[in-house]
Amino acid sequence: MAKVLIAETSYLVRKGLVSLLEHTDGVTELKAAGHPETIMLTLKEYSPDILLLNSAITMPVTNEKLTSILHENARIIYILNTPLPAESPSSQISVFDTKNKLSEKLSFHISQYATQDNDKGETEELTPRERLILKHVALGRTNKEIASELFISTHTVISHRKNITRKLDIKTVSGLTVYAILNGIIKMEDI
Amino acid sequence: MHIHPNMKMSDLVQSDFELLAVLQRLKIPFGFKDKTIQTVCKEQGIDLHFFLNLVKWFHERDFFPGETLMNHPVKWLVKYLRSTHSCYVDYYIPRIENEIVQMESFDHSAGHNMQLMLKFFREYITEFSSHIQLEEEKIFPYILRLEENLAKEAPDQDFWEKIQGYTIKDFLDEHSDIEEKLVDLRNILLKYLAPPSDNCIFTNVLVEIFRLGNDLNDHTILEENVLIPQVLKLEEEFKKKFPG
Repeated sequence: MAKVLIAETSYLVRKGLVSLLEHTDGVTELKAAGHPETIMLTLKEYSPDILLLNSAITMPVTNEKLTSILHENARIIYILNTPLPAESPSSQISVFDTKNKLSEKLSFHISQYATQDNDKGETEELTPRERLILKHVALGRTNKEIASELFISTHTVISHRKNITRKLDIKTVSGLTVYAILNGIIKMEDI
Repeated sequence: MHIHPNMKMSDLVQSDFELLAVLQRLKIPFGFKDKTIQTVCKEQGIDLHFFLNLVKWFHERDFFPGETLMNHPVKWLVKYLRSTHSCYVDYYIPRIENEIVQMESFDHSAGHNMQLMLKFFREYITEFSSHIQLEEEKIFPYILRLEENLAKEAPDQDFWEKIQGYTIKDFLDEHSDIEEKLVDLRNILLKYLAPPSDNCIFTNVLVEIFRLGNDLNDHTILEENVLIPQVLKLEEEFKKKFPG
């Protein structure tokens, strides 16, 4: 999950990178700027994880200062207006790079932010407890009824329901009921 | 593509056939020959800029011309939204329903999954119909009368009385989310259901549900970001022109 800022003067290159990154998994937010002043301003307000900076842009501050403005885990990838040798470091991309090369390098960086954030060990599987809650929801019980039957607080019921909805991508009660029937959690005759 | 008034209408459609939906909803008849957008609009009594703003938005998706669309008479937008409704009710929804019925006849799964989906979808139709009914029978007539009365020297007595205790904001509270259930249906079909034997129909149902979902989304955007703000403005003007 990475926030990306593209700092690039060329309209064409900027648009190209935007369209490439829009379709890249793991990019949560994307901004682009061309003018050094705008770049500085956006850097401070937006605090990106990844800054794509064209090396030809003369920034009003030194490189060290620039790094200090960025947050601790942020990184800079330089965009070069010249071709790069085959073994170039991943922190450099070139306007001559092929789509595959660009995607490979950018995805590599973005994926590092994904792993950092994903420490919850998320699975799509419902826990036995969630299946039980789902069963009650599918049978048409209210949060309050479920809470008193299972000796838990309504707050806990709500939080389980949120997790169920997030895991299954199903929001409405009738949708959850259909899921419950399909998966044998309740029977068609029960409703 | 740069859309401009002197472009041929047929070229517009050829370059982006999704725009056919806009044409249909503005009830623009086909058979354009070589007529330009400007000419067709003029012949059909459709404001050129209203048309251009709509198609540009549908085509480019880059910007939302909320402010610009608000500068046109509200009855245009209402007309547009109304034909959108009838398109859903008369065409989209029955079509999807029929296709699910068809899938049901192919479905030999022990759990009668398609029967279940059909039941779910029919529930959705009921919800959807009452949503549309509310707009058609209460909201739109109110909006049209508001615009009409605002143009008069003195408002109709019964309308003047009505508006004292009513604002479009009340409608916003009742404006339920009609997309939620459809999204659920889509996700269930996509993620949790093994397709029945006839894959072509199954795929097509999904495609149509995606389409309807997108369409409803646009519909909601138009209602919430153009129609409602515009009506609020009209209400304000009305109260200024005809204070109690």
